[in-house]
Amino acid sequence: MDLVFFAQDCINGVLMGLIYGLVALGLTLIFGVLKVINFAHGSFIMVGMYVSYWAVTLTGLHPYLALGIIVPAMFLFGYWIQNLLIRPIFIAERDVREPITVIVVTTGMWYVLDNLALLVFGPDYRALSPNPLKGQMLNFGEIFISVPKLYGAAAAVATAGLLFWFLQKTRMGRAIRATSLDRDAASLMGINQWKIFNIAMGIGTAVAGVAGAVLTPFYNVYPTVGIPFDVKSFVIVVLGGLGSIWGALVGGVIIGLVESIGPIFMTSTWTEAIVYGLFLLVLFVKPSGLFGQKHDW
Amino acid sequence: MKRIQLLALSLAMSLMLTSLAFAGPTVKIGNILPLSGPSASVGQQGKQAREMAIEEINAAGGIKSLGGAKIEMLYADSKSDPNVGVTAAERFINTEKVNVITGAWNSGVTYPSTAVAERYGVPYIVPVSVRDTITERGFKNVFRIAAKDSWWARDQFTFLKDMEKETGEKLSTVAFVYENGDWGTGFVTQWKKLVENSGYKVVLDEPYPSTATDLTPVVNKIRRARPDVLMLVSNAADAILLTNTLADYKVSPKVIIGSGGGHADPTFISGCGENARYVFDIVEWETDVNKAGAKEVNEAYKKRYGSNLTGEAVDAYLAMYVLADALERAGSLDPAAIRKALSKTDYTSGRGMIATYDSVQFDATGQNKNAAMSVVQINDIGKGLERITVWPKPARRAGYTPVFPMPKK
Repeated sequence: MDLVFFAQDCINGVLMGLIYGLVALGLTLIFGVLKVINFAHGSFIMVGMYVSYWAVTLTGLHPYLALGIIVPAMFLFGYWIQNLLIRPIFIAERDVREPITVIVVTTGMWYVLDNLALLVFGPDYRALSPNPLKGQMLNFGEIFISVPKLYGAAAAVATAGLLFWFLQKTRMGRAIRATSLDRDAASLMGINQWKIFNIAMGIGTAVAGVAGAVLTPFYNVYPTVGIPFDVKSFVIVVLGGLGSIWGALVGGVIIGLVESIGPIFMTSTWTEAIVYGLFLLVLFVKPSGLFGQKHDW
Repeated sequence: MKRIQLLALSLAMSLMLTSLAFAGPTVKIGNILPLSGPSASVGQQGKQAREMAIEEINAAGGIKSLGGAKIEMLYADSKSDPNVGVTAAERFINTEKVNVITGAWNSGVTYPSTAVAERYGVPYIVPVSVRDTITERGFKNVFRIAAKDSWWARDQFTFLKDMEKETGEKLSTVAFVYENGDWGTGFVTQWKKLVENSGYKVVLDEPYPSTATDLTPVVNKIRRARPDVLMLVSNAADAILLTNTLADYKVSPKVIIGSGGGHADPTFISGCGENARYVFDIVEWETDVNKAGAKEVNEAYKKRYGSNLTGEAVDAYLAMYVLADALERAGSLDPAAIRKALSKTDYTSGRGMIATYDSVQFDATGQNKNAAMSVVQINDIGKGLERITVWPKPARRAGYTPVFPMPKK
């Protein structure tokens, strides 16, 4: 009996962990390429969730089919933000590779986006409707597997795989990696670094949109929904290694398992302490994270 | 010249009229309320309910034993600030010479301002301020109408016991699951005290962070513990997430009861849909309460102010009638006489008695010993999911039978 519950918690931990990984993926990508620490990441997730919510509510599409609307919309949103808000700072601080001012700007974006959502959508907790995945469970005796989370975990792996292939194999992906290694050298090779930045930010935001679409079928949407995910994303990204795609997924799964299995042995408030303890431990022992590059480029 | 004469004449006439209208003695009531600042909306509700009650009392002939004395209301804005509240109490007593003070909603304001009234021996009626200690200082002039903080937890257990008796369903195990903030942990301290003498066995005591992104692990623990009763203290987002996850995993204890907060949030029902069905929640007052006159008073209030009565408004409204009743019996404006009449209050019927409990009687500490919360059940009886008053039984919505225990999923 106990083993059944253990298995149950493990399955939930892995599924939820992969989804956490997907949530953190946009953050790690934006850091990896732009060297921008995006404090507004949670708000991007929130925007992604509202975009998914409205895309599904207005069209009546299946939430995963609505990705066809969500991904381009979020890509444009990220592209526009980079072009209008972050690029001027890169231009102003041309000699600095990681302009600190950007942190202030992304923090500002976080507040503006969250409060804008509050102003426009109100403080209500919205549930997706129509929601064909709502409450769907696979049932194996005593073991329940949540279908929306299963879909979400699959989407996480697929997104990570696609992103990996894109960065490794396509011409644009190579240009993005070149820019992330050395902006000036890339520019000398004829790469338009501003365009690459815009695109990289667009992709990172689009991934946040995918995360939003994955979350809405089993999570309510409200203006500050990004905050708990924001904190979690930072822990995951540091754990897995800043800029590493697979690191984000592995970091996510570790957190998911701690959160899920931990409560068997203690009250669930303590699992948070373990998560943050792990975070500190990684910073002390292996600051580059599990899959991060040891040396700065 | 003529115009000045006319003016003087009309002035004299109007003066005469006013003095005629105030021929009998007037009773002055000083009200301290948060009319601005963070608690302004409840403060306004309290003011509106008071004004409506006093207008009704005055229109019905005022206080007859005082020769038809009219009640005059004075208001002071506490801004939810204890210091402002204390100054207001001093001013009411020394400058305005009020006969009675009422207030002050914020426990933080009520606590020191009642001490001022006690010092001068002026009766102070507290319609609603929940902090327990307000009536636990041996004061003689403080009278509280509404239930105190610890009675929320007390009434959850009383409700369970009453329902066991009513339905014959036996409950033996309880699980406490609560947000790990001040509010949740404070509530659970009360539960733990109460559960000792209740005969229930605690099978799970689980705090969780309110910002949790996944409550499946908590739900799995509840599944494992198999409690008969699941008692919850939750904020809005977690109440919805928990209820939905419980339904996903087909966890169905016999009873799920919330503690207001997230379960009382209007978005709880829309966020959970069918999953919220049969959940119980504890509350001060609900518009469907089955009390004589409640509907009429609510209609009158809604017509005047455009919104339904709230728990705060009901307590304030009731407080004015209790006060008028005491003044009637006192037959004097002497503070000691009013105090004595208040302490002998036994207000069981009348237009003001629209609270869920049966009567107002003050114990030696000045607390209304009959005050109680009420319990609602979320159910759909043909008009969509709604909150239906089920307990105390006399206040239950007419024709409704609570679903107890809730059906297995």
